[in-house]
Amino acid sequence: MKLINYTLGFYATILFVTVSLWGVLFYSQLLWQVRSSIDEGLADYKIIIIDNLKNDSTIIQSSNFGKNKYIVKQIDENYALKITDTYRDTLIYSTLKQSKYRARLLTTAFLDENGRFYEMKVISQEINRGKLIRKFLFSLLGMLLFLLIGTALVNNFALKKTWKPFYRVLNLLNGFRLDQKLPDKNFPASQIHEFNLLNNSVKKLVNTNREIYESQKHFIENVSHEMQTPLAIGMNKLEMLVDSEELSEPQLQTIGDIIDTFKRLSGLNKSLLLLSKIKNKQFLSEENIDFDDVFIRTINNLTDYIDFWGINVAYNKSGNFVHKMNPDLAGILMMNLVKNAVTHNCQNGKIIIRMTSASFSIGNTGKKEAIPSDRIFQRFNKDAENKRSTGLGLAIVKAVTNASGLDINYSFNGKHIFSVTKTMN
Amino acid sequence: MTKKNNINRMKILIIEDEPELKELVKNFLESENYRVEVADSYHSGLDKIITYDYDCILLDIMLPDGNGLMLLKELEKLDKKDSVIIISAKDSIDDKVKGLELGADDYLTKPFHMAELNARIKSVLRRKHSEEHRFTEIKNVKINFDERLVFVNGQKVELNRKEFDILVFLTMNTNRVVSKSAIAENIWGDYIDQSDDFDFIYSQVKNLRKKLRIYQAEIEINTIYGIGYKLLLK
Repeated sequence: MKLINYTLGFYATILFVTVSLWGVLFYSQLLWQVRSSIDEGLADYKIIIIDNLKNDSTIIQSSNFGKNKYIVKQIDENYALKITDTYRDTLIYSTLKQSKYRARLLTTAFLDENGRFYEMKVISQEINRGKLIRKFLFSLLGMLLFLLIGTALVNNFALKKTWKPFYRVLNLLNGFRLDQKLPDKNFPASQIHEFNLLNNSVKKLVNTNREIYESQKHFIENVSHEMQTPLAIGMNKLEMLVDSEELSEPQLQTIGDIIDTFKRLSGLNKSLLLLSKIKNKQFLSEENIDFDDVFIRTINNLTDYIDFWGINVAYNKSGNFVHKMNPDLAGILMMNLVKNAVTHNCQNGKIIIRMTSASFSIGNTGKKEAIPSDRIFQRFNKDAENKRSTGLGLAIVKAVTNASGLDINYSFNGKHIFSVTKTMN
Repeated sequence: MTKKNNINRMKILIIEDEPELKELVKNFLESENYRVEVADSYHSGLDKIITYDYDCILLDIMLPDGNGLMLLKELEKLDKKDSVIIISAKDSIDDKVKGLELGADDYLTKPFHMAELNARIKSVLRRKHSEEHRFTEIKNVKINFDERLVFVNGQKVELNRKEFDILVFLTMNTNRVVSKSAIAENIWGDYIDQSDDFDFIYSQVKNLRKKLRIYQAEIEINTIYGIGYKLLLK
């Protein structure tokens, strides 16, 4: 729910409740006012009638309210003395309208000059309560609507203006990338204290994170530099030694072994650096990657490597798997999967790739038993008999999928199958 | 050494602060018959660049007293035509793009094989003197780099892409042991890394060797057991 709608809903509820309560109170107040003014009218009328009765005895009627709206009836003294002025609501049958209507009824008693007691009932005009309620409700609703529209407009205007710095920060954070600086001009000073606090906190957070990111990046670069260079110097010196001296075959073999060891160490270092680079999210640019292209490119570049082991590659394609991710990582993912399928294959084995628009999988022949799937993606979980394995390829694969919104699964059905799908949100 | 030879020897400047690497490269390039000078900082490098002309400058961009990329700007200001190969420990695309934009001719990431450096220097120099260096001739073998053709005794030899690249790489390092990993990195690039087994190169080399023998080329590729290959003149 948007902030603007949330507050509006809040205001609307409060308005509705208060206006309804007020309406009920106001209505009962109004009704009481109407009654009391009618009752005053009836009291005045009573006095007029009594005055008239003194002069004109014809007003004494019997049982029906005529056009004068009163009944006067002679009563005995005892009864008359019990009567006090009472006002109450009553239903009167109108012969004119042929229906009953609601009116106020005043019952009173009086004594005329001749010492006779009379009971008199006076009725007021019709009180049309239904009409009153309808009209009242109608104007009440009108007022509520007017208030709501007014509130919505003010809310919209005021909120948009007030929360502008907030939305600016929100947009900035949305588009923020660790490898980009956020200049101070993106955080203009606001009149509102809280927004200045927010700006400062965000600025601080962003800068701290950027500093950590930068120092991590530099650390990784420095490690790479510091370790690779001595290794390379050693390797190159050995190569030059081979060139400059006449060496026997066993000596050459020993030097070759040392070079191989250096090479493995250097490769291991590179893989570990790559792994931490991926985990530090240093591959940031993204584009739509068609894995059909990535696969074809990878296979073309690894043809010699694959052919050397006599491995047969089958490609079943029923669609193109397209995913938005970093292009370098896509290449690294595919390369490590294919290499893994080659490294752990058997002589003259098979690699089967299936590609659909929703997933792709790489299966390979090899050992006849499944690998425990909880360990397979861990670092250095390697086949002790296989000298070609660094134990990092699948850890890199896992890191790439984690960083790119992909999932990888391992299954075994005689072949070792790794399938890649998009992460479900 | 004759006087003529001295004049023709190419001059190379190494700007690199790491003493061991600097010495290694210097010794290697001297054994390749280049005239080599070294500088170990931004400022001593700048002095040399201003004072002398070099055929090729090997430039480390991480120097203790400045960024090597600034030296590229200085070169441009001085209107010098020295070829520059950037050497960087950072495998960073940003630096690569920046360096090439600033006029560097090539970019080499540390660590590198001397054979690779040798090949890069030769191809940079070849491009600089493109008129006379479009071909190279070793004995009766003639390689046309632009058209990617190889002739032995004037007869065209059919080589696939990888075989051609291996031959070029080996001829640029004639009479030197070239390790399998140097070949793999040069030909297969990022797809093969240090941890892979390089034995698969063998089949390509075997085919290349066979073709050279059929056409009676006066060069041959020797296997240095456990290490790599060496191209020799017969």
